Formats: sequence, C-alpha cells, structure tokens
Amino acid sequence: MIANLVYEWRRLWSVRATWIMTFVYLVITGLLGAGPLFLGDGGFGTQTWKGLYSTNANFLCLVMLSVVASQFFGHEYRYGTIRLTLTEFPKRERVVLAKTLLLALYVTVATILGWAVLGVVGSIAPEGSIGTEGPGLSINGGEPSELWQVLVFGFAYCVIAMSLTMITRNLALGIVLPLLLSSIIEGLIVLFAGLANGKMDWIVDALPFANGTAWLTNLPDQPNAGLIFAAWVTGTYLIGSAMFFKRDA
Amino acid sequence: MRIEARNLDKHFRSVHAVKGLSFTVEPGRVTGFLGPNGSGKSTTMRLMLGLDSGGGETLYDGKKLSSHHPVTRTIGAHLDAKFFHPKRTAYAHLRMLGAEAGISKARVHEVLKLVGLESVAKKRPGGFSLGMGQRLGLAGAILADPQVLMLDEPANGLDPQSIQWLRDFLKHYASTGKSVLVSSHLLSEMELLADDVVVIARGNLIAAESMPAFLSRATGSAVVVRSPQSEKLAELLSSQGIASTTDGARTIVIPGHSTDRIGEIAFANGIALSELSPRTASLEQVFLELTESGQEYRLGETS
Repeated sequence: MIANLVYEWRRLWSVRATWIMTFVYLVITGLLGAGPLFLGDGGFGTQTWKGLYSTNANFLCLVMLSVVASQFFGHEYRYGTIRLTLTEFPKRERVVLAKTLLLALYVTVATILGWAVLGVVGSIAPEGSIGTEGPGLSINGGEPSELWQVLVFGFAYCVIAMSLTMITRNLALGIVLPLLLSSIIEGLIVLFAGLANGKMDWIVDALPFANGTAWLTNLPDQPNAGLIFAAWVTGTYLIGSAMFFKRDA
Repeated sequence: MRIEARNLDKHFRSVHAVKGLSFTVEPGRVTGFLGPNGSGKSTTMRLMLGLDSGGGETLYDGKKLSSHHPVTRTIGAHLDAKFFHPKRTAYAHLRMLGAEAGISKARVHEVLKLVGLESVAKKRPGGFSLGMGQRLGLAGAILADPQVLMLDEPANGLDPQSIQWLRDFLKHYASTGKSVLVSSHLLSEMELLADDVVVIARGNLIAAESMPAFLSRATGSAVVVRSPQSEKLAELLSSQGIASTTDGARTIVIPGHSTDRIGEIAFANGIALSELSPRTASLEQVFLELTESGQEYRLGETS
C-alpha cells in the first residue's frame, strides 16, 4: 500500500496543473476572505475569526480543489496512463483506496494552507473589521462552520468530483457536474418545486448540495441534512468504485 | 518466467474479439505475436495483463500476475507510444513508474540513457515524436528489469537504426533467460527477431510454434538442387514419385521435401551436387497464406 501511495504522490505533484490549481485555490480563498474585511460588511454584521476561517468551504474555492480531485482519475483516462497504473497495481481496490487517501491528504493540506492565508488576511485587515462577538459572516449563508466541518465538506465535495470522473471517465464532467448541480441545477429544482404546491418537496429535501450546505451552515430546521449529504457522497463513491472495478481499463 | 495463457476470451457486445486463445511464452525466447489489423492482438495482451475483463486466465510461472510482488519486477508492458501525461517530464514519468519496485534515481537515468532519451529527460513528452514516445514506453517497461517483457508494436515510428537497436536489445534480453512477447506488423523484422510465433486471425489461434516450424507450413517450401547431372536426378526422383521442376540450367526445384531426403537419394545414386539448399517461404508469405481468410478489415483490389 505504501508503494501505491508513493506512486500517487509522484503522479499528483509531477504535473504543473496541481501546483497551479492549488495556488489559484489559495488566491481565491484569500480574496473571498478579504472581501468583507476590506470592502465593508455589506450589512451582514461584524466578521469573526470563525466566519473568516469558514471561507474556504465556499463553492468557488472548492471548484479549484475539485479540479485536482477530478485529475486523480481524469488524467489517467485522458492520457491512457490508467493502463500503466493497473499493470503496476493489478489490485484495483488498492488503487482506489490510495487515490482516496491521497485526496484526503491533499484536501487537508490545501485547507490548512487556506486557513493560513486567511490568517494572514485577517491579521492585515483594517482594525475593527474582525470582531470576537456575534455570529460573523458565513460565505455560504447561515452560521459560520466549525473548522472540522469546513475540512469534511471540502473533502466530500472532492470525493463527489472524483467519483463522477470515475463514472463518466471524463475529466471535465467531474469538475462541471458538481459545480452545475450546486450552483444552478439545484436552485432551479427548488424554484420549480415552489410552483408545485408542495408536491415536489421530497425532491428538494433530498438534494445533495442543498443538504450539504444546510449541514455546513448548521441550519436548525434540517437536522438530517448531514446524513442525506453523506448518503449522496457515499453512494456516488460506491457507484464510481464499482464501475472502476468492473470496467475495462 | 513461463507465461501460460489459457482459454482467453473476450466479447465486445456482439463482436467475439478473442475466441478461447491458449498458448505459452517460453523463457529465454522472443515470441512474436502476429495477426492482421483487428485480429485481437492488443485485446489479448490487455487480457493477459488483467486490464480487460474476459474469460480465461494467464499464469506467470503458475501464478496470477496479482500474486507476484513487486509486479514490475515480474512484467514490464509497453502497450502504446502515447501512454504518458504530456506535461509530466520523461524523468518524472519514470520516477512515478518506479514507485512500486522502489527504483532508484540512478536506475531511471541509466534507462533513459539506454533508450537514448537522456538529453530530453527533463523535457515534457507532449512534443515527442512517435519514435521518442516508443522509447519512453520501452524505458518504462524495462525500468525494473522484469522477468517478462510484453510489447505491443514497439517498432512503429522507429528509424532503421533504432529498429536494429531494439532487435539486438530484445534478443539480448531473452538470452538472459527472460521472456519477451512482442507484437509487430513488420514481418521481415519479426522474422529476424522471433524464436517462436503466435499467430491469430479474427480472434482465433492460427499457430503457436517455433519460427522454423511455422515457416515450413508454407506451400512454397522446396529444395533447390544444382547439379551437372540435374536431368538424371530429376528422372530418378520421378521414378520414386517425387515431382520436380527445372529452374534454369542444371537446377531443379523439388517442392515439399527436405534437403536430407533429396541429399540421401543423390548420394545413394552417385550424383554429384553443386548446391543443395532449402527454399523456405518468407514469414510474410506464410503469414499471408494462413491469415488471408481471417482479415477483419479487407482491402479493395488495386488497379
């Protein structure tokens, strides 16, 4: 298993795209965090350190991480190196496990680096722009997330991106589908459901990213949001893995 | 290491691409894997590596590939000249592939030098020519000095010097007791390289035997005899039911017999011979004879 991890580590960091996307992620995280501090609160109230540190759970930041997540399988299929990988490591379950573990490590390191950037941003922000009282501003709406929630949500989002790439064997779809779902499609479904006099509420209640965001921002009226989101993440991952095990390389 | 492919079988929806193939690849020998386009060579290789799912199994010294550890010390495969990330340098590509067997940086440099890519080790292979891609693929396959080399069309895109280098390299590799399975469309090259052949057409096994045995299958195999008494020898052979044809002055051609047999007859009857030699068909002739009906994508007539 160590060899699998070393292989994945070298695969990940030997292409420039990983470095670029990580850098862009940190820049966007810093800019989004700096916005409310330098441009005024926009009526949301005083920002807190907790609110500032939940910035990198925003979808705009996570898209950058999901690009790297999709590359775990997307580059392999696009350039045919999956055949080299599977010749070297014929046990496919180990390949999936190694990629998942390394994805977890990557997201953790990137998130911590993001917090470091936000810490720097907060330290140079105008005096008084960060308070210690009040709820602070969550960039996703609702309450700011706990740090562990930011980390778990980021990882879960990337697992969905990686799993969709396993299913579609298409790098672009692995990046675009979660983004479209979270930013446009789920919003449209909620809109149409509102016109259906409650007949489509069960669909709204089951939407993956709506539930994920509800869990992330601790919405009190959706106590099962975390479970529903976890079910979506697990289901997508299991389907993707099953297809990876079964299909020809 | 002995490779034993047993009843390999593969369907692509309605197409039965590989039909119960069984053959062996012996250690210390180069085995050529031949077949027309679309005959199932690449699919068979993928089945042998466990990359595609299908019927049958392939055993490497009696064990499945996944039971060997490290796998890259057991087998090195090169299936396509473009299987690399275009932005990952040649050196980084090989470092990645060396992870499973713990290959050192020095070995990576050694292999890059061996295949003539040392000067572009730090270059991204996106701009490599087909021949350079082949070299990089070969470098990846031999990196861990595996017991088995499996190469799919490795000579495509190589210049004549590189082809000769590849031939010498593979012969030397096999001479150290390792197994080499190599597919190619370059039949003249394969005739010089392979000790054994596995021939398939439309997913069916046509032949799996030594190169000389395969060549002797040709209907064009014959014995050429040059003798000052060629007419007398022809009459003598005719009296024994052996047909011959005249091929210029003092030369006759006897199809379907061995030089041993004809030599014995001539010696027993006191006929002096200036030449007694086999005329074997080329690999291309035999291949075309045996696979003519098995061509998946047939060509039109040329005017």
